[in-house]
Amino acid sequence: MAASPIGSNPVIVATRVDKVGTRANVARIIRVVVSLAFALVSLIPISWMVVTAFKARSDIVSAPPKIFFTPTLEGFVNLLTNRVQIPQDQAKAKLAQPNLPLFDRIAAERGQAITGPSQYTGRVLNSLIIAGASTVLSTVLGTLAAYAFSRFNVPGKSDLLFFILSTRMLPPVVVTIPIFLMYRDLGLRDTHLGLILLYTVFNLSFSVWLLKGFIDEIPKEYEEAALVDGYTRLQAFGKVVLPQAITGIAATFVFCLIFAWNEYAFALMLTTERARTAPPSIPTMLGSGGIEWSAIAAGSLGFLIPVVIVTFALRDYLLRGVTFGALKK
Amino acid sequence: MANIELQQVEKRFGEAYAVRPLDLHIQDGEFIALLGPSGCGKTTTLRMIAGLETISNGRILLNGQDVTRLRPSERDIAMVFQFFALYPHLSVWENIAFPLKSQGERRDSVDKQVRDVAGLLQIDSLLKLRPGALSSGDQQRVALARALVRRPACFLMDEPLGALDADFRETMRSDIKKLMLDQRATTVYVTHDQIEAMAMADRIVVMSQGVVQQIGTPAQVYHDPATLFVARFIGSPGMNLLTGTRGSDNALNLPGGNSYVPPPVWQGRVNHIEGEAVVIGFRPEAVDIQPDGALTGQIFSVDLHGSYTMLVITLGSETNVVQARVNRDDDYQVGQQVRFDVKPDMVRFFDPKTEKAVS
Amino acid sequence: MLRPCQDRIAPHGKTLSQGLQVLNRMAAISARNASPSVPRRRGMSDRQIQWLFIAPTLILLVLMNIFPLFFSLYLSFTEYSVIKPNNPPVWVGLENFRHLLQDKQVWTYFALTGRYVVLSVALQTLVGFGLAMLLREKFKGNGLITTLILIPIMMSPVVIGLFWKLIFNPSYGIFNYLIGFTTPNAGPDWLAKPATALGAVIIVDVWMWSPFVMLLCLSGLKAIPDYLYEAASIDRASSWYQFWRITLPQVAPLLLIAILFRTIEAFKTFDLVMGLTGGGPGDATELAAVNLYRVAFTRFNTGESSALAYIMLVIVMAVSNLYVRSLNRVREG
Repeated sequence: MAASPIGSNPVIVATRVDKVGTRANVARIIRVVVSLAFALVSLIPISWMVVTAFKARSDIVSAPPKIFFTPTLEGFVNLLTNRVQIPQDQAKAKLAQPNLPLFDRIAAERGQAITGPSQYTGRVLNSLIIAGASTVLSTVLGTLAAYAFSRFNVPGKSDLLFFILSTRMLPPVVVTIPIFLMYRDLGLRDTHLGLILLYTVFNLSFSVWLLKGFIDEIPKEYEEAALVDGYTRLQAFGKVVLPQAITGIAATFVFCLIFAWNEYAFALMLTTERARTAPPSIPTMLGSGGIEWSAIAAGSLGFLIPVVIVTFALRDYLLRGVTFGALKK
Repeated sequence: MANIELQQVEKRFGEAYAVRPLDLHIQDGEFIALLGPSGCGKTTTLRMIAGLETISNGRILLNGQDVTRLRPSERDIAMVFQFFALYPHLSVWENIAFPLKSQGERRDSVDKQVRDVAGLLQIDSLLKLRPGALSSGDQQRVALARALVRRPACFLMDEPLGALDADFRETMRSDIKKLMLDQRATTVYVTHDQIEAMAMADRIVVMSQGVVQQIGTPAQVYHDPATLFVARFIGSPGMNLLTGTRGSDNALNLPGGNSYVPPPVWQGRVNHIEGEAVVIGFRPEAVDIQPDGALTGQIFSVDLHGSYTMLVITLGSETNVVQARVNRDDDYQVGQQVRFDVKPDMVRFFDPKTEKAVS
Repeated sequence: MLRPCQDRIAPHGKTLSQGLQVLNRMAAISARNASPSVPRRRGMSDRQIQWLFIAPTLILLVLMNIFPLFFSLYLSFTEYSVIKPNNPPVWVGLENFRHLLQDKQVWTYFALTGRYVVLSVALQTLVGFGLAMLLREKFKGNGLITTLILIPIMMSPVVIGLFWKLIFNPSYGIFNYLIGFTTPNAGPDWLAKPATALGAVIIVDVWMWSPFVMLLCLSGLKAIPDYLYEAASIDRASSWYQFWRITLPQVAPLLLIAILFRTIEAFKTFDLVMGLTGGGPGDATELAAVNLYRVAFTRFNTGESSALAYIMLVIVMAVSNLYVRSLNRVREG
């Protein structure tokens, strides 16, 4: 606001005549109230989910909703293991054993014994494999294509770019029907490779756009200097462009990873048992008494944590990524 | 048109003063320059007059009316910003019309006023263009037009020529001055360029670090600077300032073994200065090179400026220099010893402790 | 030897003297390379690299996009069911399309989707933009706050749907509790009544995406320099006038991108609905994409679902076209 600095940092207080006084103060109070309300509204549902993951069954279904409760790992046990009911005295005997592993103890407290890991763990593994492989592929191929689009006069460039972007705009259901048929004939139905290919393609459209934006920002002069110094175009690409693009590549990698990790529709429609990933599995957790909310919450929490970490790591690129590179913030 | 009065106006940020209590009375139709280096408080003062900064203390009166608490929109002022502040998505016509349309004036009367002003500033051919398509000189004209179309009580200008190329600046300078004269406008003009202020202003307010150093006409600040700061800041180059210590017989000992006796009219006043040291000031054109001159020095450099020549003369060592303006035809060599006098009606004296001039 | 040099110099528009300098240097390098003692390094030409880099992407896209799209187009003109592989597709011309366009149900679903898209996007935009206007002077932008409010977007929509299912539960969900109904069952059962189910979906969608719109608008708002407002206030513009003539036009391009993007995504909504309501109660929240899923993978009417898919495709493509054009305009500054 102050135009002339006086050595020290000018105090950042509104100094325009019409921005002080009672009217302006009231406006300021309203703003604070609104921002607090907004923050609360944003966070309550998510924190509720986090809390539910640690609630016992009875606490979840109590009315009015319980805010204070004793935390338990019941939900995680339900999520990650298969159990059977065992008679009371057997359960009691188990509990008496020293050094009983935590999960067994929790199961025993509910009159159950663990028979093995649940499907869910296998599904998470599938998610990891499929998401990981497809993200690597789409990032690598995307970087190459983005470089070409950025540096060369590819014939029909803007049409091609539009075509690539429009892939991302398609409703997944539209593409799934023919791919379902294709995969069935090629034996790719319910395979890891099938999903990997599909995710790669969908992520490619996004990664090409995002990476092109990053590469556009690297001045061409660096490569030109390398070329003049006798390097080939490929070497210039490797020695000059890639190192400078590394942060953009990393950001793109993470965005693609998130998409593949969260993907539901394709996984739902193209897989059943072998290659099914976690997202389609979570809604179907039914326990002995109906929907196992704590298990679902535990699963969702497991999903949430990597996302939070990653979102925080990417915070400088968030807006850019989410708007396909429109905003450079 | 209007007169503006600032009464003990000050601006503080916490404990620090941006502008110390300032009194200024601007007459109707006067062109006042607020002059000083960056951070001296000139822009803050201008913004206080505009209402873009609150006043920590004091009052501002516009035509006798206390406007201290009024918003910028309620004061009858127009402002030209250094970076033009043109609305980028509006055409030139719309930019100039903005202040009129914001008051809800009818389109046909607005159009006439816009075209009149555009004609005055010779930008009528640009009316349909957007600011982004114009050169900076033209953009500044549009900014001026926008201010003019308002016919406000006074014009405030914040370094309007700062963003222009050097050649443009000179033509724009005289254009603005002529424009304001024709409009009989009261103008407050902020600049750090003393040449600009000297050329354009009726009176100059010289400021440094929030303190007003002197308020006077260009002639006054040039010939009778009130402080050492003004002496140094005004004129290119600034005034020669030599520190002398009191010697015997009213003489002052100057560097280089020189001894200077102040002219009789100044004797009494110089004696009133407390302490051993007295500062003597005189402009380059006050130096009179004479073979029997009272002061001696050695020529350090000879700079040809075409219509005149500037000599840099050292007195004793290179830390004590005097710049002298001499005829272009005269011949001088580097290293040459010269003797010179200081023209008695052009010498001034300063108290080094208070930094003020002896009056 | 001269041609490759020209290829590299010309596109970069160097001046003649600079170009000559480069030529000289390259001549020197080539001369050195041509001498028998230094083996000549032959790199791939730019054209080869260009195609090499783009080819895999294009091939994959063609295989997984173009080809399926054409196949789908073909299927839309047939009567076929995936689960009856022994009955090959039978050409029926425009029959599928005619049937679909005359089917009242289909129109109902499209209308439902349209209502959803309009309401949801409008609400998100209003809330997001309103928040941006309110918060712009307090908001410190980066870091923790941005992360927190963008978390919902980064999560799996099906998981979010599931969660809100719990929250909307009439017996033990906190939604009714929070908006003021202290005893359970006193508040409406949002997900069980057709009238309110769509509203529930809209509420979740607005919750998820308003922060996104807000951040986008904030970027635009912050980019407006202060001195424009100062000039406007000196020009005696009222706050409303300033908003209308300065703020809005400057934010408009970003706002447009947000609206178009959200419109396309809202039209595609599938995951969220599947998690929250499964399309129900009944078909009260059967949005276009959900319906398509049902026709294709529950009723296995492949021909008809392909036709339906194409109709949806045309609509999405039209809006996407607008979106990409606005996107390009903003990216170019």
